[in-house]
Amino acid sequence: MSAEVLTVKNLCKIYPAFTLKNVSFSLEKGKITGFIGRNGAGKSTTLKALFHFLHPDSGEIRFFGDSITEHELAIKQRVGFVSGGIDYYTKKKIKTITAVTKAFYPAWDDAAYQKYLKLFALDENKTPSQLSAGMRVKYALALALSHNAELLILDEPTSGLDPISRDDLLDVLMALCDEGKTILFSTHITSDLDKCADQIIYIQNGEILANSSIQSFVQGYKTVTLAEKCPLEKEALLIGTKRSKNGYTALVKTENAAALGLPCTDADLESIMIHLEKEVAE
Amino acid sequence: MKNVLKKELLLALHPTAPLFLLLSAMLLIPNYPYYVVFFYNALAIFFTCLLGRENNDVFYSLTLPIPKRDIVKGRFAFVVLLQVAQLVIAVPFALLRQQMPLPGTQVGMDANIALFGLSLILMGLFNLVFFAIYYKDINKVGTAFAWGSAVVFVYICIAEAAAHVVPFFRDVLDTKDPQNLSAKLLVLAIGGLLYAAFTLLAYRRAVQTFEVQDL
Repeated sequence: MSAEVLTVKNLCKIYPAFTLKNVSFSLEKGKITGFIGRNGAGKSTTLKALFHFLHPDSGEIRFFGDSITEHELAIKQRVGFVSGGIDYYTKKKIKTITAVTKAFYPAWDDAAYQKYLKLFALDENKTPSQLSAGMRVKYALALALSHNAELLILDEPTSGLDPISRDDLLDVLMALCDEGKTILFSTHITSDLDKCADQIIYIQNGEILANSSIQSFVQGYKTVTLAEKCPLEKEALLIGTKRSKNGYTALVKTENAAALGLPCTDADLESIMIHLEKEVAE
Repeated sequence: MKNVLKKELLLALHPTAPLFLLLSAMLLIPNYPYYVVFFYNALAIFFTCLLGRENNDVFYSLTLPIPKRDIVKGRFAFVVLLQVAQLVIAVPFALLRQQMPLPGTQVGMDANIALFGLSLILMGLFNLVFFAIYYKDINKVGTAFAWGSAVVFVYICIAEAAAHVVPFFRDVLDTKDPQNLSAKLLVLAIGGLLYAAFTLLAYRRAVQTFEVQDL
């Protein structure tokens, strides 16, 4: 079996108004990978392509070393796809949804399901519409974990959650990671990734901009705060200069920080994303 | 297949679908266009597909470890089950109607064996038109139903008019059972065959169009 849980190579999909261009990345077993990008950057399109919800024009997708095209059903047994919590059949009781869902999975583990119901304090007699957004994600996770999914793919699971619920959910994800599960989750809330992710994949306008450890990605940039606009000769070193409360902020690549000769501070994921997007917008 | 049908019955089924089956009892109304009884399941199919759209049924189904064509197969199995149930439940009411000390319906075709054969064609036509549009774009349930019911409406008008003006329909088919039994059984058999052919054709086309759709 391949050590890489998921490998995507040169995935392309052309729409009239948007193109996914040669998207390539891979996931390591037992790690949390954050999939970031602004709204409309191609996160959901990529995730949908992984599961054959849509048909890529070209490219290769391999889960556990096997092509999704040839082994779709076996792969789906081992993967859980959670799209921002349960948003289907929200007026049906959880126990009915579970009864239907579990029939499709020979590896369904009732003991594990009961364990997660208890752990997440889920009441089977409630409907998803009666649950908070955070609890809906937990129920979706409980379903995926009860069929022993080794890889969990979550599409914006934390959007719409309050800070406490988000933190609570991230704790759950980290605990699952400790148990050996591999997690890929898309988000535009970068602070979630600062807290729990090992790797990041950054997509911008349908292209992968970075696929590395979060630490090395963040260490690649510094933030500069300027009281006024930078002299023209140094401006070329700055990335995505934008107004801030007390003047201007910009990014600079760490290797260029010394040449810039201005005081720099460590960048965080959010400021990197904001300035990189600002640079592209300009 | 069993699991997909279970999903259809426990999650997808609109609550009115079983209620509409009971409307087979409308065959007891002395004067009524009896074909309409077999249109109620078309309404139930429409409501179920509409409910599915609002409940992200296709998204849920796509996450399950089943081929895309099985999603379509499950829906067709559910539809056939509903339509056959409508017919089976209608049988005792048709028999009761035949025993009533009244002439047959003045609107058109009596509640007899030929009505069942001609209603099978009606349901097959609905399946053919409705699902051809529905599986091209599952969000256009209303358009699919509008075309499906328009075709059924025209069919009912023609079939009921035939019971008055076409001699074979008026004199042979629109009679009490067991009069002209062999002709009526032939109509029933043709109806069954056309229903199967239309539904199978609708299924094959639906699988093809649904398979290539980006969702």
